[in-house]
Amino acid sequence: MAMVGSNAKRNRWLGLYIPLSMFMVFLLFPFYWMLIVSLKPNSELLDTSVNPFLLFSVTLDHYAYLFTDTDFVRYTINTFVVTIGSTALALVTSIFAGYALGRFRFRGGTLMGALIFLCYLVPPTLLFIPLSQIVADLGLYNSYWSLILTYPTFLIPFASWLLMGYFRTIAIDLEHAALVDGATRLQAMRHVVLPLAMPGILSAGIFCFTLGWNEFLYALVFMSSGEMKTVPVGVVTDLIRADVYFWGSLMAAGILGSVPVAVAYSFFVDNYISGMTAGATKG
Amino acid sequence: MTKDRSAQLIAEANAMKYSRRTVMKRASALGLSAPALAGVLGATGHVSAAPNRAPAFLQGGSLNMLMSTAFVPAAQDLFQEQATAWGEENSVDVTVDFINWPDLQPRTTSAVQAGAGPDIVELWDTIPYLFSESLVDLTDLAATTEEVQGGYYDWVTNTASVDGQWKSIPHGNSASVVAYRASYFEEAGIQDAANNFPETWEELFAVGKILKEEVGKPLGQALGQSLGDPPGFAYPYMWAFGSMEVEEDGETLAFDTDSFREGLEMFIQGWTDAFDETGLGWDDSTNNSAYLSDQISATQNGTSIYIAATDEDGENYQPEIAEDTFHAPLPAGPSGRFATLGSRSIGVMSYSENQEEALAFLEWWFSAEPFQTWLETYQGYILPPGPTFTDLGVFTEDPKLAPYIEVPSIARNKGWAGPANLKAAQVSSQYVIVNTFANAVQSGDAGAAIDEAAAHLQRIYGR
Amino acid sequence: MSIITTEQPGQPVVPHTRENFFVRLVRRESSLAWLFLAPALIILVVFMAYPFGYGIYISTTDAMVGFAGKNFVWLENYQRLLDDPIFRKTVRNTFIYGFGTVPFKLVLGLALALVLNQTFRFSRVFRAFLLLPWIVPTAISSLAFLMLYNGVLSPVSWVLVDWGIISDNINFLGDPVNAIVSLCVANIWRGVPFFGISILAGLQAVPDELNEAAALDGASVWQRFWAVTWPVIRNITLIATLFSIIWTFADFQLIYVLTKGGPANSTHVFGTYSYQTLGQTFIGDAAAISLYMFPILAVLAVMLLRYVRHDD
Repeated sequence: MAMVGSNAKRNRWLGLYIPLSMFMVFLLFPFYWMLIVSLKPNSELLDTSVNPFLLFSVTLDHYAYLFTDTDFVRYTINTFVVTIGSTALALVTSIFAGYALGRFRFRGGTLMGALIFLCYLVPPTLLFIPLSQIVADLGLYNSYWSLILTYPTFLIPFASWLLMGYFRTIAIDLEHAALVDGATRLQAMRHVVLPLAMPGILSAGIFCFTLGWNEFLYALVFMSSGEMKTVPVGVVTDLIRADVYFWGSLMAAGILGSVPVAVAYSFFVDNYISGMTAGATKG
Repeated sequence: MTKDRSAQLIAEANAMKYSRRTVMKRASALGLSAPALAGVLGATGHVSAAPNRAPAFLQGGSLNMLMSTAFVPAAQDLFQEQATAWGEENSVDVTVDFINWPDLQPRTTSAVQAGAGPDIVELWDTIPYLFSESLVDLTDLAATTEEVQGGYYDWVTNTASVDGQWKSIPHGNSASVVAYRASYFEEAGIQDAANNFPETWEELFAVGKILKEEVGKPLGQALGQSLGDPPGFAYPYMWAFGSMEVEEDGETLAFDTDSFREGLEMFIQGWTDAFDETGLGWDDSTNNSAYLSDQISATQNGTSIYIAATDEDGENYQPEIAEDTFHAPLPAGPSGRFATLGSRSIGVMSYSENQEEALAFLEWWFSAEPFQTWLETYQGYILPPGPTFTDLGVFTEDPKLAPYIEVPSIARNKGWAGPANLKAAQVSSQYVIVNTFANAVQSGDAGAAIDEAAAHLQRIYGR
Repeated sequence: MSIITTEQPGQPVVPHTRENFFVRLVRRESSLAWLFLAPALIILVVFMAYPFGYGIYISTTDAMVGFAGKNFVWLENYQRLLDDPIFRKTVRNTFIYGFGTVPFKLVLGLALALVLNQTFRFSRVFRAFLLLPWIVPTAISSLAFLMLYNGVLSPVSWVLVDWGIISDNINFLGDPVNAIVSLCVANIWRGVPFFGISILAGLQAVPDELNEAAALDGASVWQRFWAVTWPVIRNITLIATLFSIIWTFADFQLIYVLTKGGPANSTHVFGTYSYQTLGQTFIGDAAAISLYMFPILAVLAVMLLRYVRHDD
């Protein structure tokens, strides 16, 4: 027994603690640097006589500057509105699209699936110019709608493919049973399929949210006048002035723009993981 | 509150006989708004900048402007205040968006394509050519504003006008010279380094070798793909060694010359000997922080390093470095001494439905008072497009900044001896000249770097 | 259309007989399917199809943004790019960037997933925080890397010099090889969590009993992984790989912030080179550059997808 115990202990170290700490170092190291810079007084930032990774005095000035000298709060609200709006739109349309692609056999189905996927291959660095024409024609410039309606172009392909996979994993018999019992197709979908696919929908939502949260180019071009900026665009325009960077505040914005999201994800993450499973494995 | 502070400042200024510049500095320290400042300036016998009242037809309109962020925060704030004040005065709803330099271009491009967006945009040198069909012809207004400036310098006309027409009104640009640490140069054997910077590139490389090897403070120069500092070095060096993109006709290549080949060979050696070799990966901000953190002995830059080091309230206040810092023009080569300079300008988009408001605003802003106030707030960072304002205190009071005001006399436009047209803009945006140097340093083969660049120039100018 | 209108929500569709049911279901399914697809398709058509078509059209012209005149030049833009040394570098860099990062992201992501799949204290917190690189807006995390890769003030160089490991600062972005390696590392950093979390999800479906049974049979860890775990996570791994390849090939922001394609064009990828060309209003050329990426990605995507569907 003693042998087994020490073996298990060794395995625990080899299989968990050592690799886990290596991942922590690699993945959180740049993040640690962001945190340090956001708390470091500027005089220390240019001081090459001391270890740059250590803090000798702590200042919250950079955070304060974000709130007093930029519209950071407003940018955060904008980002939330845009991200939640586009995520919701992409999710709802993708649920139907994914259901159709995953459940129905119809002429052109495979082709449509492929075409939707192909949308993913068109680079935004090309699309933003003709898109700006559409955004202008629809009179959406500098409104939330400009992003809520354009973000789904890169969210829908991803989300509908993911959801297509989930719907395929849910036994079709359950649905048939509901239909035989007199439910409509929509009722069957709502009461039988959606609850079972909920974890998958949640995970697709988290993916969409992250992609929208990070977007820069469309936000820069379609919505960046006055207070109507997202966090990435707002902090870059407010905190980089010609050849001078406000490093501390930029990094502070990075911290504030990610930690709350990470915390929110930690509540979802278990659901999210079990949700991914169903769709992913049979996709 | 504001009134009290204004009154206090007026009393103070009259008692101490403040210069106009000092009044403005104090006003910004006291947090006075532009109109309040204008009042103070008027009361202390300086030129004020009160917005004039525009014709009634403007009332009720709106105006949106897209400007680049200003390195001197006060200048950006002042422009915002000027615009707001003008808008209130004329009942025009004015908004200004300041945007990071590299992002200005895609924003403008997409606005042009969409036919919607800002009414007024700021344009960098050579850009008026790119958008010449999308900008309102401002030739008439330019005649007036040119008078205010006392005539435009050649470097301005060459870079901001489009085939003899004005599509935008120039407001000057920042020039760059070498900022250097006199004490380190003295350590490297230069006597009286404050007044005695190496005259030629050859001499500079020789001193630089000592600076790098013995003093431990190399020269710093960005050679990455960045639109500010790298071309600020590369074009003048090319010209100094008898090379240029094209002849005066704007077509015949004049790039591949023997003396440039020799000059580039010398640079390859000079780079390893004297420069911080990570410069190939630097962007416009890297040399600022390298200089301010005492890692390099000299670098070519606008006044931003010096202003930051002397600004007591700023984040990068470095009094010792500031005191030790002097400026000198870029060294000379066999063909002379040069600098590159192109004017920024402000244009009105032809899709705009608010062209009357836009024109009225520009007419006001480019009149003597508001422009002068803005220029002064910039603390000498921006050179005016004509001679009228060159004797302002910001250019003359600190003798250390004198080399900047001399730059226009040796400055050429990108694309020289041809015009700063689309081709020149393309050469610049593809970093052809900068990359000649980067390639030469990387491969150690000056001839191959020149051949590659010449072929690229041929593709652009021959198209 | 008439069939769709009979399919209103709430209106009961009760099959009269069993034989009839499947016949009617299949018939109705196709119309219902299109109805379900419609919202997504409308968004994609309005916001994607036109710009995409416009991109293809404009790539066959010598159009410039803001200039009315343009000529149809067929494939001249594409042809000219083949002779453009910068474009050739761009293609090479894109492949180096794609194939230099995706395998690492895959292997590290797989390892991360296997680590996180174990139960340990605070595992939920670790799972969330190891996602951070993926959540921080790239516009800002790239700036953090810009500082870490600074030629003069890099804190990494500082520490290594301090420890006596190196004598000079590392030339992260100023040397062509270093620059692309630096970009790859930053890209891997950002991409590992995506793989990790996707594969972790797949791992939840591995039946514990199978694993235990295999262990009792004396199978090694390695054997168990291939026999039990891999078949389950294979599809999700391939899908994650597919999306990661697309993201990596089309990457723009990270490279734009760190090098803008420099030094001397040694780190340009399709996105940055196209953007730089567009900067001079040459929209025809810019579109051609971007569109060169399309067939490459399409071929990769088709290959991977076929493999995924192979044993579906």
